[in-house]
This record gives sequence, C-alpha cells and structure tokens, in this order.
Amino acid sequence: MHADLVGFGALVLIAGLLARAGRRINLPTVPFFMLAGILLGPGTPGPVLIAHPEDLSLLASLGLVLLLFHLGVEFPVDQVLGSGKRLFVAAGAYIGLNVGAGLVFGLALGWGGYEAFVIAGALGISSSAIVTKLLIEFRRLANAETPVILGIIVIEDLFLALYLALLSPLLSGAGSAGELALRIGLSFAYLVVLFAVARFGARLVGKVIDSNEDELLAILMVGLVVLVAGVSAEIGVSDAIGALMIGLVVARTPIRERVERLVLPLRDVFAAVFFLVFGLSIDVGDFGAVALPVLLAVLMTIVTNVLAGLIAGRLFGLNQRGAANVGLTVLGRGEFSLILATLAIAAGLDGRLGPFIALYVLILAVASPLLAANSRYLARIIPDRLLHSSWRYVREETISTACTHLDRIHITESDAEACPQCVESGDDWVQLRMCLTCGAVGCCSDSVNNHAEEHYRRTGHPLIRSLEEGEDWRYCYIDGALVREPMGATRE
Amino acid sequence: MGKGIYVQELPGIGKRYDVDLGSNTQRISVVVRRDGNRDLYVFAAGKDDPVAVIEMSEEQARKVGALLAGTYFSE
Repeated sequence: MHADLVGFGALVLIAGLLARAGRRINLPTVPFFMLAGILLGPGTPGPVLIAHPEDLSLLASLGLVLLLFHLGVEFPVDQVLGSGKRLFVAAGAYIGLNVGAGLVFGLALGWGGYEAFVIAGALGISSSAIVTKLLIEFRRLANAETPVILGIIVIEDLFLALYLALLSPLLSGAGSAGELALRIGLSFAYLVVLFAVARFGARLVGKVIDSNEDELLAILMVGLVVLVAGVSAEIGVSDAIGALMIGLVVARTPIRERVERLVLPLRDVFAAVFFLVFGLSIDVGDFGAVALPVLLAVLMTIVTNVLAGLIAGRLFGLNQRGAANVGLTVLGRGEFSLILATLAIAAGLDGRLGPFIALYVLILAVASPLLAANSRYLARIIPDRLLHSSWRYVREETISTACTHLDRIHITESDAEACPQCVESGDDWVQLRMCLTCGAVGCCSDSVNNHAEEHYRRTGHPLIRSLEEGEDWRYCYIDGALVREPMGATRE
Repeated sequence: MGKGIYVQELPGIGKRYDVDLGSNTQRISVVVRRDGNRDLYVFAAGKDDPVAVIEMSEEQARKVGALLAGTYFSE
C-alpha cells in the first residue's frame, strides 16, 4: 500500500466534516461518507485525493468485516425470540414486499439475473443504523409503533445473513447448475456450523480471545474476526457472513459487553472508510444513465414501504399515524445496500449497479427523514377500512404505550346504547365513550355535554374507550394520548 | 420491577421504563440504551408528544441520579 497519508487523511477529515454538516439537519451519515468519496475520487472532475482506490481495499474490507461483526455482537436474540409471531409476520410482509418488488424491478431493468438479485437486496433491506437514529431524533421511543419498527429492522438483519448466504455463491461464477447448488449447499452448511458453534462452543471461543486487558482483548478480537471472515471468503461464503456469524458467537460469551464497547470506535472509523472507498469507485458521469431507473426505484420503495406499514398497522392494531410511521421510518437505505453493491462490483457484474445503488441511497437518505417527519399528512389520507379498527376521530394522534395508568383498567366491555345523563336531560349526543375503570358511559367531546370528560374530572378515572361500532381505541385523559398495552411479554 | 414502573423492550436500542409519578400533570419515561446513554422523556398533561427529551451519557446520568436520590452532599 502506498503511504499516501496526506490524501487519505484529508479525505477522511472532509468526509467527517460533510457528515457533521448533514447531522445538523438530521440527515444520516453513511451517504455523506460515500458522497465525499464520489466528489474527491478519480471518477469526478475536480480535486482528486485518492487516485487509486484499490490501494485502500484492505482497509475497506476491514470496515465491512467490523460492520457486520458488530451487527452480530449486538443482535438482540432474546428480544427477537420473545417478541412473538405477529412481529415475524409483519417483518416477513415487509421483507417479502420490498425484496419481491425489488426483484421484479431488477428483472424488468434487464441488466441480468444476478444483477436483479443484487438490486432486490439493495432495494429491500433497510438500514438499521438510519432507522434507529431517526426514532431517537424524532423522540418517538414512547410511541406504540416503535417496538414494531425496531422488531422489523432487527429481523431484517437476520434476513440479511440468509440473503448473503444465498447471494455469495450466486456471484461466485459457478459454471453449472450442479456446481451452483453445491456452493449454495456449502454456504448454508457453513451457516449451520457457525450456528452450532454459537450454541455450543461460545464459551470456548470466549476463552480464546478473553483477556483482562482491553488492549489485548481488542487485538485478539480483531484477529479472530478477520481470520474467520477471511476463511469464510476462501471457502466461497462471503467474508461478510463469516464476520456476522462470529459476532453472534461472541454475543453469547460473557465478554460480549466489553467487545461491543471496544469494537464500536473501530467499526465507526473503518466502516466510514468502506463507504468512502465505495464512493471513490463511482463516476459521476454514470449518474445520468441511471437517473430514471433510480427515480422509479425510489418511488417503488416508498409505495412498498407504505403498504408494509399498513400491514403492520393492521396486525398490531395501529391507527393511521402509527401505520404511516412504520412505513416511512423504515424507508432509510444505507450500509446494507452499499455492501451488496460492493459484492456485485467485486463479482464483475453490470457496471451500472454501482452508480444506481449510490444514487438510490443518496436520494433516500434525504427523502426518508423528511417523509418520516411529516407522516401525519399521509395519516390523513389513509382510509379507515384498510386498518383493523376504525380510527375516524383519532387517525392522526400518536398512540403511546408509555401510559402508566393501564392498571386502572377494570372493565372493558359494555352494551350500553345511550348516554344516561343526556337521556335524563333530553339532549342528543354524537358518539359514546366508556370509562374503563368503572364502566360508566358518557358522550364524547363532539357532543354538547361531553359527559365522558366530565366523568373523568369528577372521579379521576383516566381511561376511556370508544363504544362506536368497530372502534376499540383507548384514550387517557391524564396523558392526553391514545394508549395501548406494550407489545411482547409483560413482566413483573 | 418496582411498583409503578413499567418496562418496555426496545429491540436493538435497550429498555424503556415508564414511571408512574402518581401525578395528573406530568409523567416521565427513561430509556436506557445498550450503549449506556439514557434518554429522559418528559410528558405534560394533555400532550401526546414529549415536552422535553434529555439525552445523557452514563456519567451524566449517574450525577443526576445521585442528586435525585439524595446521596450527593456539597457541604
């Protein structure tokens, strides 16, 4: 490797500055690292800081390996397994819709079958990093749909492993169908072996790299991870899977937390280099030829995401706002799309894939925070019948699971058909509400008397439900929000 | 869990604890992230969006926690 420290240092610094400027307006970092590479690379007119991107290939692979290793280490196995079947159905719908549409789109482009597989993954798998940051920045951690969103992206990470296991043999250039089947079989067998190691041999692996000193642990960890990734690549399974799986192994050892802490800064730096180097390989001149397909792909992704959001909304009984938030938040694409693009370039597939995926990621990087922030406008136009319950009055409200008054619920059903106080005074009402603490029925806030709220003021009973046909939403007067129980197992 | 504290798992982020203050005007939720950072969500009555979100590092959270618990004395 050339000791071109000036160019490399300047490039990383500029990438960091660009990303920081983007963060000021809540844009994700990954596309900016890539953008710095594109702007200052050999494919773009103007200053060139790195003329030979291949000089940085070892550093870039290290970034890829550490990125996936960290993903494996922090994969919340127990949380995912404990979250129930509904979440897997929602995630399956998300993945099926997005990857399926991506595959059809890729085939329709006519760049080739393998290219279509790469496009399917790049369009279908969202970026966990971008989504998580959005949820934190938009202060949505107390929303009812947030655990659903997080569950979907975590299951997507798992899907990524399987997808890579399928894709790597496909891209390895097998001559015949038999050879291809053999390689796919080998790839999945290797996955099974590593799963077995994760299940039974984690303690041993932990012992091999454990040390009381952080310095030694960091070195042993990097050595082991890179070795496993390299061996995986040698036997025709991608280095990415090897790194991910050894991460899952380490996640089951007692040193997990220390490893997680130590690998994080390494991952951040080298992953940024990985995105930079990918950017360096992009020629801006190629953007023109792929602009139209990219725009179509972006539109298609938005549509499939919103559809998947509606399915999740139906499954989990979310209102329009919740469903819109699911669809528009999981929209971010980033690291995984770029990993797939890199694999495709390394395998010598159609050269348009690089600029196609780069432009796609850049556009969605700007679009996804904007759309997610304005989800209420989408919520306004989603018709009630698409969702599980009727939300006519409360479609734009945020549903919260952070209500601490749920223990005041004692009665949930009533067959009352009138507001007793209104009947007495001879008034009319619009809709009926029921107090979930004592079962008292009163009229809603659009009625002249609003007896439901009056009941709350008098008794302090905080929660009501709608008694309208087909509606079962619950509202807390104290919190001023739609509420529901947390998903997953409740623990004492 | 202690009385009046409710837990919600946030896969990949950490855990959220909703604290029942027994107050009709305010409530708080604390998110403990796996990386050690904490987010303190403060809600006021009648608003579904938090009125304040305070992000703290582990160290900062410990300081504030000590103050809140009354274990910190200056003189």
